Amino acid sequence: MIDDAVLETHRQELRRGTVVLACLRLLERPGYGYGLLEDLAARGFETDTNTLYPLLRRLEKQGHLTSEWNTDEARPRKFYRTSSTGRALAVALTTDFRAIATAVAGLPEED
Amino acid sequence: MTSTTSRPDTSLSARYVAAATRSVPEQQRDDLAAELRASIDDQVDARVDAGEDPAAAERAVLTALGDPDTLAAGYTERPLHLLGPRYFLPWRRLLTLLLWIVVPVASVGVAIGQALDGATFGAVVGSVVTTALAVVVHLTFWTTLVFVVIERTSALDDALPTWSPDSLPEHDEHTHGLVELVAGLLGLALAAGAVLWDQTRGFPLPTGDGDASFLDPALTPWWTGGLLVLIAAEALLAVAVYARRGWTLPLAAVNATLNLALAVGTTWLVVQERLVNPAFVDALLDVGTSQDAFTVLAVLLVAGILAATTWDTVDAFRKVRRR
Repeated sequence: MIDDAVLETHRQELRRGTVVLACLRLLERPGYGYGLLEDLAARGFETDTNTLYPLLRRLEKQGHLTSEWNTDEARPRKFYRTSSTGRALAVALTTDFRAIATAVAGLPEED
Repeated sequence: MTSTTSRPDTSLSARYVAAATRSVPEQQRDDLAAELRASIDDQVDARVDAGEDPAAAERAVLTALGDPDTLAAGYTERPLHLLGPRYFLPWRRLLTLLLWIVVPVASVGVAIGQALDGATFGAVVGSVVTTALAVVVHLTFWTTLVFVVIERTSALDDALPTWSPDSLPEHDEHTHGLVELVAGLLGLALAAGAVLWDQTRGFPLPTGDGDASFLDPALTPWWTGGLLVLIAAEALLAVAVYARRGWTLPLAAVNATLNLALAVGTTWLVVQERLVNPAFVDALLDVGTSQDAFTVLAVLLVAGILAATTWDTVDAFRKVRRR
């Protein structure tokens, strides 16, 4: 039996980079915080709110995302969108991720 | 949940947003607060739509968001540690080095200064302890502070040496052995030279009445002869260690015996007050050194010799085990 807390830590470490990749790919179409959170969860990328918001800000600061406020609705929302550098980053990360997936698949396994 | 009145919003959500954005730079604050507030309201609405009680929903959402200070730190990328992994190793290396050098030097310096000043033995011990503690606290505090500032400002990004294989400890036993041999023989030659010089020429007295030997002339020939024999044996031992390419158990045992002889001999002479030339003692008393000062200097001398010989003995045995 693995200790739950230890397992959780390892899983978080494993997922950390994948959330960035998922955001960059999903935000090819503009999205806002809560909508993105739902979208991520629906696609199997469980993310905490307190992880996602700082992450979006960080990606925006690095120039991988652009943002603008949409005030058409009753509730003003900040929409994010992947920039061209963000797209390039997503391509690089996707390539890497596929290589890792292939490498993991090639590992010896206990039946 | 939007407030339509002009009354200040005192809801839990509003208080949470205020707490989370308090430490964020002003130009981003409104933007961040608006986004966070919208997000909280979105989540609460979703829970209420699923049939939850609004108050409970709000509470659950905020609980999931966690400590607002942690969230703010995530936004501002402000580290939530005093010293992160990046600078921890250079910090530890520097601090260890400083403590090893500065604390003993300061302690011995204070002890000698106080002793020559004519302080009592107890007063000297007291001032050494307080000095050592103060030095440890100050060194640790200021070194750490500098590193914390560096980490917060990343002012020294390129100034810190990047690690390279060149900084690996020397493992080439033979060059290392040769360095050790040369250093050892030089030290022994200096010691023998000092003893011979002292017995033949002497050193100037502090009162200015010509020269006298520091070691009691009554110790010649037997005691000083014994010391010279010990030094010669140490030299032979050093050569043997080099020839054997390192310490062996018999060599370490011989080393321990020689160290024991040196420590016991000098301690015996110090305790008997037969080590230092009485003429030298009188001259020091004439220039105002107190009797207590001799006690302190004697304790320092014995402690120093015991520490050095013990370390040397233990070190040899450790090197035997490592072979």
